[in-house]
Amino acid sequence: MNRKQQFREGLITNNPVLVQQIGMCATMAITTTLFNGIGMGLSVLIILTCCNVVVAALRKIIPEEIRLAIFVVVIAGFVTIVDLLLQAFIPALSESLGVFIPLIVVNCIIIGRAEAFCQKNTVKDSFFDGIFQGLGYTCVLIIMCVFRELVGSGRFGGGLIDITNGFRFTLDGTGGGIQIFPADYGMGIMNLPFGGFLTLGLLIGLMQYALKKGEKKKKLEERAAKEAAAMKEVEE
Amino acid sequence: MSDKKERIILDVAYQPQVRTGTDTRRLMLDVIISLLPAAVVAVLEFGIPPLILMVSGVASAVFWEWGYRRLFKKESSIDDLSAVVTGLLLALTLPPTAPAWIPVIGTLFGIVIVKQLYGGIGKNFLNPALAGRAFLLASYATLMARWATPNSLMPTVDAMTMATPLGSLYSDGGMPAYFGMGRMFLGMIPGSMGEISKLAILLGGAYLLWRKVISWRIPVSFIGTVALLTLIFGGKKYGYGNFEWMLYNLLTGSVLFGAFFMATDYATSPVTLNGQLLFGFGCGALTMLIRYFGGFPEGTTYAILIMNLCAWAIDKAFHRHQFGVNKADIAAEKAQVKADKLSLAAEEAKATAELRKAEAEKAAREATK
Amino acid sequence: MNNKVTKLALVLLLICAVTAGILGVVNALTFEQIAYNKMMKQISAFSAVLPSESGYTEVPFDGRAFPTVDSINQSNDGNGYVVTSTFSGAQGNITMACGVDNELKCTGISIIEHKETSGLGAVAASTSNKGVAFREQFIGQGADIALTKAGGTIDALAGATITSTAVTNATATSIAAVAALG
Repeated sequence: MNRKQQFREGLITNNPVLVQQIGMCATMAITTTLFNGIGMGLSVLIILTCCNVVVAALRKIIPEEIRLAIFVVVIAGFVTIVDLLLQAFIPALSESLGVFIPLIVVNCIIIGRAEAFCQKNTVKDSFFDGIFQGLGYTCVLIIMCVFRELVGSGRFGGGLIDITNGFRFTLDGTGGGIQIFPADYGMGIMNLPFGGFLTLGLLIGLMQYALKKGEKKKKLEERAAKEAAAMKEVEE
Repeated sequence: MSDKKERIILDVAYQPQVRTGTDTRRLMLDVIISLLPAAVVAVLEFGIPPLILMVSGVASAVFWEWGYRRLFKKESSIDDLSAVVTGLLLALTLPPTAPAWIPVIGTLFGIVIVKQLYGGIGKNFLNPALAGRAFLLASYATLMARWATPNSLMPTVDAMTMATPLGSLYSDGGMPAYFGMGRMFLGMIPGSMGEISKLAILLGGAYLLWRKVISWRIPVSFIGTVALLTLIFGGKKYGYGNFEWMLYNLLTGSVLFGAFFMATDYATSPVTLNGQLLFGFGCGALTMLIRYFGGFPEGTTYAILIMNLCAWAIDKAFHRHQFGVNKADIAAEKAQVKADKLSLAAEEAKATAELRKAEAEKAAREATK
Repeated sequence: MNNKVTKLALVLLLICAVTAGILGVVNALTFEQIAYNKMMKQISAFSAVLPSESGYTEVPFDGRAFPTVDSINQSNDGNGYVVTSTFSGAQGNITMACGVDNELKCTGISIIEHKETSGLGAVAASTSNKGVAFREQFIGQGADIALTKAGGTIDALAGATITSTAVTNATATSIAAVAALG
């Protein structure tokens, strides 16, 4: 399988959030600070990759009839592991993501990829699928976080970056971020669920617009190539 | 140039319709004229700031409308004046102390997100000016609740900002003596720029009714519902008699402004006549629910926005049928439509099944190869 | 048929058993750290309102008389109690820790969780100057705590009367709950 193609699919043409439109619940709820977005994105990436590998490895011995039950057990296992590890070692992230880490169990991205991809593909392909789809998810979260945080509170990198004593990254979620304009001028509504809906809607619209444009261009190119080929034939 | 351009003729009434020379531009011009008295009162009471806010609102609304249509290569729609009306209406719902950039953000949301993204004039599902105001209210709660002291109260009240009479009405403190009912009627009270003078609003409303830009149904049922509910339920909790309570509820806050200028927006209110009555009733009932039980002092904005969302369903409920058609005919027609749908679905299913079969055969053939 | 069902059950059982085993190991590895984190969080929330060197012990109280109070924790130093309570604010529930010393005076409040309006009620929990000033008013207040307009000395937050009233009432309830301990 072509890695480049897989990469393109995960990040753009078959992006889990913007094109497949799955796993949107957490996407809208937690994208309020960069800290949350990166934490959630990486958690999903790790869980997705692990589940993909395990499901692909077991694909020959998983009976068709109970595959969903087995997927759920595998996913729930990995989610619980990540949840416990976060609680133990990055408690701030676990606290600010709250119920959305356990909810990854029912996140469509993971069961969707298991059902649609890993059942039919090799462990290696599934591993890269997990990485690329997870990256696609993380990228969307980061874009949404940066936009909502900037417009909503005039800040960049809340929880993750601290600049009070020189620039440094904070993993305990205490960083105040970089204040670009005073928070009073921020559109507070962007920090509320409404802002999540609005941002996601605009992003999906933009993505579809870009994809359609790309398709049109491709079609035109194809037609031009065909015409050129036809001309050649005629000449010959 | 403008003669050649096709002008949109608005279908403001339910069928049967008569074609007239009235176009969007003329209607919008009438709305602007009707808002002038309220604007003049605002300038008299609060000085220059209202002027700045109105200019900023109108200019930004027109700019966003022009910019969006230009960016997406659509025909410009700024000369139908609807953006001017949105900007002016939004500015008039703001407190006079609001900074000049506030209407710019409100019109950005109202014009671009609510109006243009859904297809432009006539296709918006919320009143753009009110949606913009709600957006600002949720984003800048502090800036949107700073009420300047009007000029005519300046010697009495020695402060730059003060509580609105509506706020005093629904608090235990009681109504200060300097808020007389006469002052409320004339507009010598703090509040949003356009809502303070009930006289100016009634003048503007009368003009709109006379020009037949709006019908009496929505304003009358809206205001009537508020009056009736306050008369029935009263304000004993705050120490008012029922009749006094009703007058106070109408003379403070933005019920009148909302009823004449906001709830009557064509695109977001029902076109059926009984539907309009129900729409007005819903606005009034929701306003009073929010005033009595809500966390905000004023509920007009949210009441009208919620009813905007129901306008489509209301029209559907009050759908009128062609003359001479009885219930049996309608039932028969409905059954026919349902049967058509079913047969169409069956055909589609058959077609897909055939396609699947062909694909499977093709795959099998390739496999055998 | 029977054979097939047995096989399915066995596969599922096997996978569940392996998962459970792995989870058990992870749990054993992280259990202590998680418990420690939880304790540290509670201590930091509590010590913000009533400092204690040696931790806190939960004491029983009359839950029926004080339905909003979640727990009362006595300082092991003997300098007072921390009361946590959950009550409704303007937009949703507010969870708050309130320190009460042995003279039944408030030693400080800290809002742990809330859903108040950003810019208005949310100021009560914020680290801004306004928020800190609002909370500092509570230090030293007794059971007769009240807002200025109700005859007390607590200035309400501008535009957030409901939140201010709720927090003030909760402080009074916390003090009363400690007083009822006897």
